[in-house]
Parts: sequence; structure tokens; C-alpha cells
Amino acid sequence: MSRRTDSMLAGAKDVAPILLGIVPFGLVAGAAVISAGFGVAEAMGMSLLVNAGASQIAATTLFAERAPLAVALGTALVVNARMFIYSTSIAPVLGEAPDRLRPLLGHMLVDQNYASTMTKGRFREGVDVVAYYIGAWLALASVWQLSTIAGAVLGPFIPASWGLDFAVPLVFLAMLAPALKGRIAIEVAVATAIAAAILVPLLPMQTGLLAAMLIGMAWGGLRGVESSPVEPAEEEAT
Amino acid sequence: MSAVLAFWVLIVVLAIGTWLMRSLPIMAHGHVATPPWAERLLRHVPVVALTALVVPGALYLKDHAGAYHFAPERLLAAAAAMLVALKTRNVAATLVVGMVALWMAQAAVHALA
Repeated sequence: MSRRTDSMLAGAKDVAPILLGIVPFGLVAGAAVISAGFGVAEAMGMSLLVNAGASQIAATTLFAERAPLAVALGTALVVNARMFIYSTSIAPVLGEAPDRLRPLLGHMLVDQNYASTMTKGRFREGVDVVAYYIGAWLALASVWQLSTIAGAVLGPFIPASWGLDFAVPLVFLAMLAPALKGRIAIEVAVATAIAAAILVPLLPMQTGLLAAMLIGMAWGGLRGVESSPVEPAEEEAT
Repeated sequence: MSAVLAFWVLIVVLAIGTWLMRSLPIMAHGHVATPPWAERLLRHVPVVALTALVVPGALYLKDHAGAYHFAPERLLAAAAAMLVALKTRNVAATLVVGMVALWMAQAAVHALA
């Protein structure tokens, strides 16, 4: 097999354990479209075109609550604003991709693909990281599409008391643990966690998540300046 | 405008807006230089993003009106899952322990209430 195929498979393999965590998310996103009064076509179209779970749920819920179209759209876009930060952060890692491929790579940028490529894929030896990223997305998007359809069909029958939505933060928690290497990483995580705990319920239109991320990055930026002369080895590695 | 048409307009415009935010930095890379201060901030994005994605769901339940309520059973289950994640670095084990811990904590909260 070619290096490209191998790399795509490596990407798919790395996200395999987290595919299970997408299912409840997709179920919720699909069920939301149905309870808003639309059908499987809308659920599928939304998952394919928007390809960003939290914003899909936010937009659908607000639409169902008869919020003005601009409010539903604005809120969902704010939820997705973190993708701009992801894109800026992952751009050098995908830097070998030709220009004509890049618009597609942008569409493939989802939380799980970003996290897997940044915490695992880019460190794998002999792996074509662009192919890795595409392979990971293909696996993620297939499961996302199927679970959205399942949510549209079965969602209304799943009791909320099962707490299946809890699987979503659990997957991100599992991906976070190995990334907590070194004192600054832990400090940044704690600062972000405190900011998110306070700001997410407080700020309107789902802006709390973005605000917490900016605070965490600012903390890291300030601490990074102080410690960089002490830890040159860490600077090299990243 | 019919509801179905309005919903499709929402889908398409949201898709385009999201695509622009996701794609522009990747497309601009190599054509526009990133300032060093931005690089320093961006280094921390993986940890920051994952933490921000974990915390609300691990602390709060959202009601139908969109209001957040502190959910101690979620915090307990997330703490158990965090220990497993740090010890095993295994996603499946973290998921299983976290969900089972949530159901046990929910049962305990119900029994106390």
C-alpha cells in the first residue's frame, strides 16, 4: 500500500475509539431536527453541509423556539468561531497541502479531527499528515452522518434520563488527559476550566466558550514568555 | 417564506459562514505570515479547546429554556473519568467508567432526594 493510503488508515485508526462518543451527539443533533418539525433530509443535509454538531443543535433549537433567523444564525456562528482558532493553529501542520485541496481541508476541520491530528497525527513517524487528517475526517463524518440519521429516526424514543449527551465531554476529557504534559499545560487547563465554569452559564448567545478559550490562551501566552528561557528543550519539541 | 425554506436558508448560510472561518487560515498559510505573538498564543490551543469542551458538560445540565443548572452527579462522574483517563489514556475505558459512574451517581442523588 502507498504511504498515502497507510496514512489515511492511520488517521481513521486513531479516531476509532472516539467514534463511539460521536454517536450520542449525532443522535441529539438528528432528534433536534425532527422535534423542530423537519425530516431526515434536513437532518442529513445539515450534517453534511454544516458538519459541526454543537452549532447544528444550537441553530435547530433556536429555530424551533421561533427565534429570528438572524439570532439562530448568529448564535450558531459564534459557537463555531473556535474553528477559526483551530484553523490558524493547524495551518502550519497542513502546510504541505496544495492550494486547491485547502478549501476541502477547511470543511473537514472538526473538534475531534483537530484534536487527533494535533495531539497524535503530527507526531507519527513516516505519516503523511494531510492524508492522516483526511482519513480521520472520513471516519468521523461517516459516523456523524449515520448517527444523525439514527437520531432523526430513533431520537424521540431515547429517554433523557440516560444522559447519553454526557459521552460528548467524556470523549474530549479522554483526549485532553494525554495532552496535559508539563506545568504550563496544566496551568492553562486550570485557567480555561475556571473561566469556562464561570462564563459559559453567564454570557449570552454561547459566547462563554469562546471567552474561556481566549482567557486560557492569554494565560498560556503570558506564562510562556516567562518560562521560555528556562525550558528551551520544550520550545524545540513543539 | 415557508418554514422548510427558512430552515434550508439557515443551513446553507450557516454552512458558508462556518466554512469561511474554518478554511481561510488554512488557505492563507504560506501566503500571509503569522506574527510571533500569535504563534505563542496558538501553541496552547489544543489544551485550551479540549478543556473548554469538557467543562460545561461536566458541571451543568441545560434545561429546555437553555438555562444551566449545576449537576453534582456529572461532576462526580467526570472526576472518576478523569482519573481513568490520566491512568490508562484509554478512550473506551474513560467512556465506560464515566457513563457507569454517571448512572450510579444519578441513582444516589435520586435516593437522597
